Amino acid sequence: MTKHCRTFEHTADVGLEARADTLGELFEAMGEGLADVICPRQSVKKQKTLQIQVESENVESLLVDFLAELLGLFNLEKFLVAGVKVKRIDETSVAAEVTGETYDPARHELGDEIKAVTYHQLKVAREGDEWTGRVILDV
Amino acid sequence: MGKATNIKIEQIDEYRWRIPKDSRPGMRVDGIIYADEKLMSHIRGEQAAEQVANVATLPGIVGASLAMPDIHWGYGFCIGGVAAMDIEAGGVVSPGGVGYDINCGVRLLRSDLDVEQVRPQMKVLIDQLFRDIPCGVGVGGKFKFSDKELRKICLGGAKYLAEIDLADEDDLAATEAGGALSGADPDAVSPVAYRRGRDQCGTLGAGNHFVEVQSIEEIFDARAAEAMGLAVGKICVMIHSGSRGFGYQVCDDAIKSLRKAPEKFGIDLPDRQLVCAPVKSPEGRRYLGAMRSAANYAWANRQLLAHLARKALAHHFKASVESLGLRQVYDVAHNIAKIEMHEVDGKPRKLCVHRKGATRAFGPGNEELPERYRLIGQPVLIPGDMGTASYVLVGTAAAMRETFGSTCHGAGRVMSRKAAIRAAAGRRIDAELADAGIIARARGRSGLAEEQPDAYKDIHNVVDVVVSAGLARKVARLKPMGVIKG
Repeated sequence: MTKHCRTFEHTADVGLEARADTLGELFEAMGEGLADVICPRQSVKKQKTLQIQVESENVESLLVDFLAELLGLFNLEKFLVAGVKVKRIDETSVAAEVTGETYDPARHELGDEIKAVTYHQLKVAREGDEWTGRVILDV
Repeated sequence: MGKATNIKIEQIDEYRWRIPKDSRPGMRVDGIIYADEKLMSHIRGEQAAEQVANVATLPGIVGASLAMPDIHWGYGFCIGGVAAMDIEAGGVVSPGGVGYDINCGVRLLRSDLDVEQVRPQMKVLIDQLFRDIPCGVGVGGKFKFSDKELRKICLGGAKYLAEIDLADEDDLAATEAGGALSGADPDAVSPVAYRRGRDQCGTLGAGNHFVEVQSIEEIFDARAAEAMGLAVGKICVMIHSGSRGFGYQVCDDAIKSLRKAPEKFGIDLPDRQLVCAPVKSPEGRRYLGAMRSAANYAWANRQLLAHLARKALAHHFKASVESLGLRQVYDVAHNIAKIEMHEVDGKPRKLCVHRKGATRAFGPGNEELPERYRLIGQPVLIPGDMGTASYVLVGTAAAMRETFGSTCHGAGRVMSRKAAIRAAAGRRIDAELADAGIIARARGRSGLAEEQPDAYKDIHNVVDVVVSAGLARKVARLKPMGVIKG
């Protein structure tokens, strides 16, 4: 089981690229990559678990909607993500368990303000034995 | 950084470059980039020119898909782009052509304060502004608005704030569209956007947003400067912010709800971030109604930021706002879509003009301009990076003919955020700025590094191109003295 996510450079924004053995792990890697941009996960404790469920019309829109849901946890609930575990996934729906804690300015140093998850150069594809994905965040 | 472009680009003259409409399938008009050779060498190094070509494929586009010299690679539309669509010819509106930060824009306050009087106190003054103006990621403000009040802000923008004594007639007259676009539809805004908007009106945000104290270094046009109340050696306050989470959510909701629109309306898109719908369709009208609500929220936001800045200065100098002469020069949007009349092929046409990282630059005589600017043209506010300079320009008749009354919006990034952080490794950007006489305060971990002067194009170069191309005239150059950032 491998999953990996890295950020890549885009003039004014930040891109996320990930690869994994399964679609579920790809979504986990992307979700955790996004969480690291919001606030590095090593400083976030696994105090609370939330269940999220997202449906969309295809697998690429599903990734955007899934990441937008995670971004919404911070924007609306001030919830910082430490880990993402996909429970069930197909190409149009995903259910995941998200662990983390509420933002505490005294302990958490936030990264860039992410305005949105964009569709620009969006990619989710199966290449040989692995899944790869790419998304650009508007910063 | 992305791959270099391989698209065909022809030089028209010293400041104009054409992407001919046969360069890519589906282009309806040419692309035109305003740049000199130096700026062009950077533009060729990324994919912004491809984005100019992509925008040229959108239904109803007239004239050309335009890009200003501060153009850089964005998502969908490039940053620094202008695209005008003929509404009666099936022209579309695209949320991606406005951007997430709807009505991100710039406001300038002038003052009677002298640079010599202020410079020795800069550190204390910047600390005062930093305390009084909420900034940073996820930081809520001093003003809280109920959903009912937010709906009034959606409809009335800065005008609504005049009803509760947080704006006056002079401020509104010196604001694009008088501080409120008509045709806003608060019902088209989602409950999530309202939730995000409750405590963010009157907050600066993060990223490239700022409040900067500047000195007027040089005047290029005495008559225009006098009309704006600008004189060499006096102090100004520049504010750069937008519609905060409220606007981001409006854009996000619109892009999501328009995902199926291209199929419905038979529009073939080269990039999904360009989703759009005809202006006259229910989908197009709904987005415009929501976008105008967010634009009005942004004008209210900058009005409240100006209120906080004025109060901070008044407190620091132990004087009234009036006695400091802290009057508004102008407030202008640089991420917006507006319905405007322009001449196309000799005939007046009703157009939906998208300006994404481009500033409206109406020439003299335009009826929307307040009396004192009617003869000189609309003030255009162009912030540079925090170490160099900002400019006050005015719009021209040539801009009305060539660019639907538009010009550049800033310096434009050249370095990605990661590259900027790498370039700042082992350095203290705040100390470097202090050596140059500029006091900088930032909330975020990497804010100053990401926004360091080297991350941007040369503002003098960008402004010289738009001025040489006739798209604006120089009025004043402002020098940064102190800045607060998110």
